[in-house]
Amino acid sequence: MEERYSISSDILNILQEMGINKEDVTYAASSDISLKHTFADGCVLFTETEVVVIRSKHNSEDRHSFGGYALETNTLNVEDCEIHRYSVKEVESFNVVRQVNGGMLFARIKDADTLLLEFSNSRMEDFDKLGRIYRKVKDGKELTDEDFVKRNKHECCPKCGTMYPNPQRKVCPRCTDKKALFLRVLGYFKPYIGYIAIMMVCFVCTAVLNLAWPYLNGVILYDKVLGKDAEFLALFDFVGGKYVVLLGFVVITMVLCKLTNQILGIIQGVMVAKIVPNVVKNIKADVFKSMGDLSISFYNNRETGGLMTRVLSDANEVTGFFIDVLPYIFIHSFTIISTCIVMFTLNPGLTVVSLMLLPVLVFLSVKLLPRLWSIYGRRHRAQRSMNGQINDNIMGARVVKAFGQEEKEIKRFGNYNGRVRDAELSVVAFDNRFYALYTIVQQIATFAVWGVGGILIVSKTSMELGLLITFIGYVGELKGPLEFLSRAFRMYTSSMNSAQRIFEIIDAVPEIQESENPVRPEKIKGEIELRNVTFAYDANKPVLENITFHVKPGEMLGIVGRSGAGKSTLVNLISRLYEPQEGEILIDGINVKDLGFNELRRNVAMVSQETYIFMGTVAENIAYARPDASFEEIVAAAVRASAHDFICKMPDGYDTMLGSSGRSLSGGERQRISIARAILADPSILILDEATAAVDTETEQAIQASLEELIKGRTTLSIAHRLSTLNNANHLIVIDEGKIEEQGTHRELIEKKGTFHKLMQLQMKALAMRGIE
Amino acid sequence: MRPPMGPPPGGPGGHGGRRRPPMEDFDESKFLEQSKDLLELRYIDDKNAVFKRTEGGFVSLDYTDKEGNVQHYDRVGVYRTFPMSNPDIFISIREPDEKAREIGVVKDLKEIAKETADILREQLDLRYFVPQVERIIDVKSEYGYAYFDVVTDFGNCRFAIHMSGGGVVHLTDTRIMITDIDGNRFEIKDVSKLSSAELKKIDLFL
Repeated sequence: MEERYSISSDILNILQEMGINKEDVTYAASSDISLKHTFADGCVLFTETEVVVIRSKHNSEDRHSFGGYALETNTLNVEDCEIHRYSVKEVESFNVVRQVNGGMLFARIKDADTLLLEFSNSRMEDFDKLGRIYRKVKDGKELTDEDFVKRNKHECCPKCGTMYPNPQRKVCPRCTDKKALFLRVLGYFKPYIGYIAIMMVCFVCTAVLNLAWPYLNGVILYDKVLGKDAEFLALFDFVGGKYVVLLGFVVITMVLCKLTNQILGIIQGVMVAKIVPNVVKNIKADVFKSMGDLSISFYNNRETGGLMTRVLSDANEVTGFFIDVLPYIFIHSFTIISTCIVMFTLNPGLTVVSLMLLPVLVFLSVKLLPRLWSIYGRRHRAQRSMNGQINDNIMGARVVKAFGQEEKEIKRFGNYNGRVRDAELSVVAFDNRFYALYTIVQQIATFAVWGVGGILIVSKTSMELGLLITFIGYVGELKGPLEFLSRAFRMYTSSMNSAQRIFEIIDAVPEIQESENPVRPEKIKGEIELRNVTFAYDANKPVLENITFHVKPGEMLGIVGRSGAGKSTLVNLISRLYEPQEGEILIDGINVKDLGFNELRRNVAMVSQETYIFMGTVAENIAYARPDASFEEIVAAAVRASAHDFICKMPDGYDTMLGSSGRSLSGGERQRISIARAILADPSILILDEATAAVDTETEQAIQASLEELIKGRTTLSIAHRLSTLNNANHLIVIDEGKIEEQGTHRELIEKKGTFHKLMQLQMKALAMRGIE
Repeated sequence: MRPPMGPPPGGPGGHGGRRRPPMEDFDESKFLEQSKDLLELRYIDDKNAVFKRTEGGFVSLDYTDKEGNVQHYDRVGVYRTFPMSNPDIFISIREPDEKAREIGVVKDLKEIAKETADILREQLDLRYFVPQVERIIDVKSEYGYAYFDVVTDFGNCRFAIHMSGGGVVHLTDTRIMITDIDGNRFEIKDVSKLSSAELKKIDLFL
């Protein structure tokens, strides 16, 4: 069993001196910030009889660690502490006030609030628990292990202690082999192995041609042919000793060389064009597919922009390395090694001269690359914030126009735009500087070769001009590959980064999963029962607490409460978009956790105030949940949702294109389409989440009629602000601050004269007043 | 949501609610008054309010409303309305419970008696403390997190932030707010005061 609370050994020692043993402590919470605003340990704990508050008086010299690092406790001596002791009788309760940057704990002691401690957000849960557990003890309730469970933990890899980037997916990035990642991406290229083979052949041919070129250009052309080397000319006896023919032959060979090189380049380009888009497409498809499987909470935790980038640019980024770098690594390494060998055989001395500055180049790359890396990063971020601004503006175009703020927005855009330009400029500037340094070093090497070579020629040793030109050519050949290799490493890192982000999504395990042996009842009657359901988005703040109710098949339950009371959350739990932390939800007596996804979602439909119209025709939108519906069924559903009329009046009728580029519908029209969608889905459980909140009174009346049509024979949960829409409800619950405040039938609640009664009267008066005016 | 844009919070524009004579048993007049109250900004100054330190380390308030009734609060909440841009103006004084109804607003701490301002500042400090980063010892980023090792005015500390999204926010060109994975905030008041070696370490976030 896990420890019920954590306490540092120093504090335990202090307690020992006070005569308190660890076994006596019911619960303890440790703080990390002193009231003087320094990092220092403190503690509040209670035993059966006593409450002890320990506060540090001094700043601790130790380094403090927040979440993400292993918990280290600071040293605390009894002399440095301020200790307060109270009896449990006098301390009424502990309360936590949430602050901007953590919390404050105060106790209700003798009818006055007394500030005890401050702590950072990292310790919030411990202090929340302190308050809860203390109340339970005070109320004389039994404590269970459940009360002490720690919910907010940063899950770490047990092997190396690295935090999981995605707590929902317990895979350690350090321990998953980098090579595995690499091979996995390589797997996407497998179907195109034929094309890749052709590409590789092209690469090798290009390399060989590149290697031959300086020799052809220098030694053969200058020394042997132009220099009329007798031995060489003798080899070409068959041309009949005609020197011009030989010269022509050499020239044609050279032209053919260049031409072949070009053709190989074109073939390579064609192969890349065939491979890359397909690989990118497949990766994107995989990402999109797994995103569809993920739970709603996954989407809540992330910004849309970030997700879009993953699907769109990361896929491209990943392939970048494999296409632009990987094949060339072999080629370039091959070129470098073979060039060096050839150079060495031609003239070892000159080779040493030309390679002398190579270490300088390596040093330069290693030194400058990290900086280049961060400049690239900055450009990326500048672009991202500009995209964000554009997105913001397009979405809010109406507000911008309504307030006449176009000028300001243009200026704002100018700002971001300028930042992107600056970032772009610094990239170019740095790139140029990098390149210039590189070139200078290269040039020095070349000059050195020229110089040394020249001296050798003048001093009439074995050196000839052609050989020198060949040599210079080889030095030039080295330039490209070296530069390339200096960048390959960077490309690799960035590509693997993207790959990791992509696989994080592809591998993410949905929080809510279908049970392994789901129950698949043929027909769901629609009985709903909630038993002590407690739910929180964030472990510290329960949104719903202890909700219990029962709805018989075919009945209607009305849910009333102010905005933010947890009504929508409640209905989302029923369709299992989220999972409750405690309690259970039963449909027809089966826990929703055990129901098959298909059975559950086919039988639960929701009409909410946020209607979503997908791109497509009216008919497709109505048949969204049942794409196989016949025309007759679609029209029948539209008629019953009183949508048929306005659909017919549109020029293209049921074939009218809706969505981004198509026709836009009014709020009432959209609502009626979504009702038709629900009618066609024919669920046994229907959820109306303020279905008529977004439309005018007249439309509401019209829609109300269609809703009544829809409700017939189904179990309905209806959330409404306008109580008049709940007249048909068999049973009503009033939710406040996540708890059921009142429940009963219409009549019972009115007789009770509680919240519901108050709201009812208020709304009736408001209506009456409108009538008078 | 409709209407699409309401009046700015605390702004004028709350005089539309017409008073009606109370009806029947339902205390509608009180309700209307309450909602009307919500639309009005009440200023608190030396004349209508007395703040006192409490033994428990909080602050109490005796507030005289427009009708001359004195209300006593054992403890009040003290909130900033412009914590980043202008921490001294429009200090909101609120009831201590969860609903935190506003009692009134202190327009400017500089315009009230120094002693009162000090009392309120103490409470504000309790609520708005943020460690200021003074030196950066090390920043290393790996596997989706960046790990910071810094010296703040609270002492040395280490914390981790998410690399993706929102961990580092630029309040101005030189002022930066960093939020760690637990939701703790740290601030760098003036980036330009950091040494170039330190700047290099956080270059990724600038």
